[in-house]
Amino acid sequence: MRLSTKSFITVTALGALVACKPKLKEPSPDKGSLDVSRYVSIGNSITSGYADGALYYDGQKVSYAALIAEQFKTIGGGDFKIPYVPQSSAGVALGGGFPPAVTARFSLQYATDCLGATSLMPVALSPTENFSFFGNNIYASQGPFNNMGVPGARSFHVAYKGFGNFFNASTGNYNPFYQRMASNVTSSSILGDAEAQNPTFFSVFIGNNDVLGYALSGGASDSITSYNHFCASIDTIIEHLTKNGAKGVIGNIPDVTTIPHFTTIPYNGLTLTQAQADQLNATTSGIFGFHAGPNAFIIEDASAPVGARPMKADELLLLELPLDSVKCHYMGALTPIPNRYVLTENEIAAIRSATNAFNGKIYLTAKAKGLAFVDVNRFMQNAKAGIVYNGVTVNAEFVKGGAFSLDGIHLNPLGNAMLANEFIKAINLEFGSTIPWVDVTKYRGTIFP
Amino acid sequence: MTQLNKLIATLLLSSPAMLLAQGFQVNLQGQKQQAMGGAGTALPQDAATVFFNPGAISFLKQNQFTLGVSPTIAKGVFLEDNTNVLSQTKSPVSYPFTYYGAYAINEKLKVGLGAYTPFGSTMKWENGWSGRFALTKLQLFAVFIQPTLSYKINEKWGIGGGFVYATGKVNLQKDLPIIDNSGNYATASLSGNANGFGGNFGIYYKPTEKLSFGLTYRTQVNMKVNSGKATFNVPSSLADQFPNTTFKSSLPLPQVLTLGIAYKATDKLTLAFDANFVGWKAYKKLEFDYKDTTATLQNTISERNYKNTYSFRLGGQYMVTEKFAARLGLSYLITPIQSGYVTPEVPDATRLNFTGGLGYKVNDHFTVDASFTFENLKRSDKNKETNLMGTYKTYIYVPGISVIYNF
Repeated sequence: MRLSTKSFITVTALGALVACKPKLKEPSPDKGSLDVSRYVSIGNSITSGYADGALYYDGQKVSYAALIAEQFKTIGGGDFKIPYVPQSSAGVALGGGFPPAVTARFSLQYATDCLGATSLMPVALSPTENFSFFGNNIYASQGPFNNMGVPGARSFHVAYKGFGNFFNASTGNYNPFYQRMASNVTSSSILGDAEAQNPTFFSVFIGNNDVLGYALSGGASDSITSYNHFCASIDTIIEHLTKNGAKGVIGNIPDVTTIPHFTTIPYNGLTLTQAQADQLNATTSGIFGFHAGPNAFIIEDASAPVGARPMKADELLLLELPLDSVKCHYMGALTPIPNRYVLTENEIAAIRSATNAFNGKIYLTAKAKGLAFVDVNRFMQNAKAGIVYNGVTVNAEFVKGGAFSLDGIHLNPLGNAMLANEFIKAINLEFGSTIPWVDVTKYRGTIFP
Repeated sequence: MTQLNKLIATLLLSSPAMLLAQGFQVNLQGQKQQAMGGAGTALPQDAATVFFNPGAISFLKQNQFTLGVSPTIAKGVFLEDNTNVLSQTKSPVSYPFTYYGAYAINEKLKVGLGAYTPFGSTMKWENGWSGRFALTKLQLFAVFIQPTLSYKINEKWGIGGGFVYATGKVNLQKDLPIIDNSGNYATASLSGNANGFGGNFGIYYKPTEKLSFGLTYRTQVNMKVNSGKATFNVPSSLADQFPNTTFKSSLPLPQVLTLGIAYKATDKLTLAFDANFVGWKAYKKLEFDYKDTTATLQNTISERNYKNTYSFRLGGQYMVTEKFAARLGLSYLITPIQSGYVTPEVPDATRLNFTGGLGYKVNDHFTVDASFTFENLKRSDKNKETNLMGTYKTYIYVPGISVIYNF
């Protein structure tokens, strides 16, 4: 009996092997009116695949532009060359000083704060590169590059000739990332290098830094690109790229409040006991009316009577706020938080108004030039509210939200895959193609130790 | 008998029953009936009548044991909308079994015992499939044990009823969208034993030699998991957010009302028809209540909102010789799952099934029956909870065999 049971199970297992599988036919992608054989992407750090506070190999591999290029292969897309940072590198980012210090990417690790409390937080890895890394030009050995996304680039930098030239640093028109990948370190431009490849399709996603540079300085330094300058820059870029009949896609700029870098630390994060509040009131003659529970942080404001005031609910703190100073040295209570860590109402209004104006220009350019248009701003607003994708809930919350990398500004691989799909949807809509979407579930969110 | 017990034990161990027919209800309770599209409520031919109509057991001509198994081979594929990503199921072959006995106490009263697997499925998707954060594997397995009494009121009427004790287990697994330093995804596994109670009642009416009717009612059985085990395999930094804990859950197995008609058209040809009303509306939601919750691990409620549904079964049996029977059937099953609620656990669809089978009477004591069922399901949907969107296609092959011993 045992033998017959065994053979019975064997027979059915064999039956299972030979039984036909159901088949579903994968749709054959239609290229519509597109020729994507030579695709070039123009943009800033987001386009380059910058993530976790640095440019590094694994991030570059999954930039939205690289993911689009991968999907383009289903409709005749060609190679997509990327100016990779070596795989062994801990990543490269520019710190302070001149020549700038090089910092590496963040990873999520346990760290102990000034109060002795240990928790998970983004911790920068030790840099494996120094500034000479950028001087080692890789164009001859690896170029030309299809991914022309350059961290830090603004709209008017794209056509700037000599953007890789160290001697242009004094005018703010020198970029080490471009220096490394430029066809000619002294005189080439991003746009010229792109054009030289005679692209049949392009993506342009530029302008974030035109407002974000200002926002990331807390509005304390830097400036927002003027509307006219922005418009002229966009016009130049698109005119050059379309002059041989290439088609393209353009994305707009997300609102600053969709970015966790600006929304993670609450304005009223100063939590006090009654005793602490009493002591602070005594020290400050009671002008700020500290009380038990959550209090608004005290920030610098030259126009306030004492040069400082409580923060307002709609004002934003930057993620690089030195939390140890806040926790242990009364920053935000006795010492006002310096302006460079704060976006005040006025600063936010300036950023918003520029973002809206720039987005208007981007939209009109898309319509006038027959470009596919990606409403990145709306996508980020949706992400902020939460997007459910194949059972994964993603939102813009820092670390936990699952879409942003550990710098709170750039997307992680999963976020990039979702953004790539926004581009693909827009392209399909405009050009009648049916390029398949990226399988977002194949791309990771936050790595936890 | 010890050999039979051994076989039962083997089948129990090799366990799980497979997705088949509406929802996760498995309609594999007798080889003759399976061969005839699942009809048999008005046609007492063997001890499987314990399941099909307790009221008709008293009309069986002999005492009988029968043991059967229906190896179920299910192959599925999923094409995610807007992508070119295909995912396959890797479900194991499963072995839903039946054991029935019917024994006459006297001329009017018979006792019956049934052990069968009316509900169950194992759905396992290939590693890394695009819906893995919704589900990687669901195993449901329930054995119903049904002691039954059947009384023959007169030559035309019979009634009967059985008490059902249901016992089973459930295991649900999925990947969590959390990755560790070595690139492994976190996983969640919920498993537990479930049990419940119910009843199976039937009336049999045979007004003429040629015509008979059956009416049965099987109650809803609530399968309750009181202390299931929730196991999370997560990066160590999140271990306090995902404590290994226990959970409670329940799953209603629906009431079924069946009306059957059988007609002996000629000496050799018998036709049978069953219509089932299936009370799937009871399956409104799937809840998991954890004993220990955290900011991240919260109780979950997933809407299911099944609707009540019907199925129709038609079959014929032709006696080629006195010893040799050929059977054919078809069944039309309407899915209880509404648009927006199709899940990779049960990618169910309305379908038309074709069945066939053979029976051979070896001698006065032994009869062997075999059947084959083929099901072809296809369904496209976008799930409201997970937004998983695409087309599922499933082929199900069920060869089955049973041995009857008369005494």
